[in-house]
Amino acid sequence: MSPASDFTAFYEKELRELLLPLEDQRKKIKKWGVYGFVLLGLAIVFFIIGTTSQLPAAIIIAIVVFVAAIIVLILFANRLKKFTGIFKTQIVSRIVAFINPSLSYSPERFIAEADYKKSGLYLKSSDRYKGDDYVEGLHDKTFFCFSELHTEERVSSGKNTRWETIFKGMFIIADFNKNFSGRTYVWSENKPQLNFLNKLFSSFASGLEKVKLESPDFEKRFIVYSNDQVEARYILTPSFMERLVRLQQMTSTDTSMSFVQTNIHIAIPMNKELFEPSVFKANDFSRLEQFRSTIQIVYEIIDELKLNERLWTKE
Amino acid sequence: MYIAIGVLVVLLLVIIGLYNSLIVKKNAVDNAFFSMDVMLKKRHDLIPQLLDTVKGYMQHEKELLNNLTRLRQQMDLPQLPVNEKIKLENQLQSILQQVRVQVENYPDLKASANFLKLQGAINETEEQLAASRRFYNAAVNDYHNGIQTFPSSIIASMAGMVRKEYFAVGEDAKEVPVVNFK
Repeated sequence: MSPASDFTAFYEKELRELLLPLEDQRKKIKKWGVYGFVLLGLAIVFFIIGTTSQLPAAIIIAIVVFVAAIIVLILFANRLKKFTGIFKTQIVSRIVAFINPSLSYSPERFIAEADYKKSGLYLKSSDRYKGDDYVEGLHDKTFFCFSELHTEERVSSGKNTRWETIFKGMFIIADFNKNFSGRTYVWSENKPQLNFLNKLFSSFASGLEKVKLESPDFEKRFIVYSNDQVEARYILTPSFMERLVRLQQMTSTDTSMSFVQTNIHIAIPMNKELFEPSVFKANDFSRLEQFRSTIQIVYEIIDELKLNERLWTKE
Repeated sequence: MYIAIGVLVVLLLVIIGLYNSLIVKKNAVDNAFFSMDVMLKKRHDLIPQLLDTVKGYMQHEKELLNNLTRLRQQMDLPQLPVNEKIKLENQLQSILQQVRVQVENYPDLKASANFLKLQGAINETEEQLAASRRFYNAAVNDYHNGIQTFPSSIIASMAGMVRKEYFAVGEDAKEVPVVNFK
């Protein structure tokens, strides 16, 4: 894996030139965005003038300007989407290759819903499931993959329906270094997934028991359920528990993990997008450096959890 | 009159509930002990393999290996009382640890594929054993909470439930040191 310091050199040599035409495109697209929002503002102003001073003409102008604003904004969104695609293909994929040529990056792909569900990290069933920026590869002996995911639930209150986010952030799946046959869930204390109702009735919860562990530091951050008390402790050794606490400190207090079918699943809620180019600000070295360090974090997580330590019977 | 009967029924239900939860906890302890026993047997079964793999290499550790062989023969004896069993298991733990340390002096052995595979299996068994010990202690703790807190303590003493022994915390408090071949 190439160290961070080489990234500056790599940027100068390969990326800076590629960014120039992209920056021109970005500025043009930004104009569309600015015009669109300005027109929208104008439309609102005219509408207010029209309603407060009872001028029907103003209201008509407001409607016309509003329609124009919508058209401009739609065109803006389309151009932005195309630009994002080109940016990712040209720039992000090169950053990924710089970190490790054997990694594969697919901007449009994302972790399969079946895998997300299987992980048991978020039990609410999602009405909308999308994501992007899928990366997979090997770090030493550990196979891993991650992508951005955004899952939502449709909530209707009376006649209104709105979309509530269940999970938005980075979702990682990696090969775990011990063999195990059951399922163990380490939910963040802030986001427990089992409540009184689904404990009684859901088939997911059948066979699951709460696991009380010895570390108070761990217990105050996580809530653990498993279908095998001994196996849960086999996975969650005292030193591994310490590492999970550090992982939560590295990422977010809502980070949770699960151990199912010999894989470890990690869900890290994040508000910001993984690899989207900015449109209103320049895409410069510091932005690209952010992308690089996002991928770097996954390597650091695998190292922190010592998943490459293969001291048992799993290769 | 009816009120008195009602109160009695409620009381009875409470007593039954408390008693049942104590039984559940007691059974959890027995279950955990059984899991531990399974792991102990797994470890026990790996010893002949270990002896076969190392004795060709570890020429200077004859005494250590003889101790191991003798210990295993002792453990094979039928009908060992539980305390005796526990004592022998602890001795086994310490001898295996000594073997682990001595292996460091034999680079050929350390590198051999047979040994590496065996070491992986032993590491796995040791960690599963540590896990089942932790579970046993947690189950005993839960059980003690049940028989010592009021009001279930009354029911417990009526039913003759007594404290159980924890498993030596000394061994599982520290992480089982696994040898890293790098």
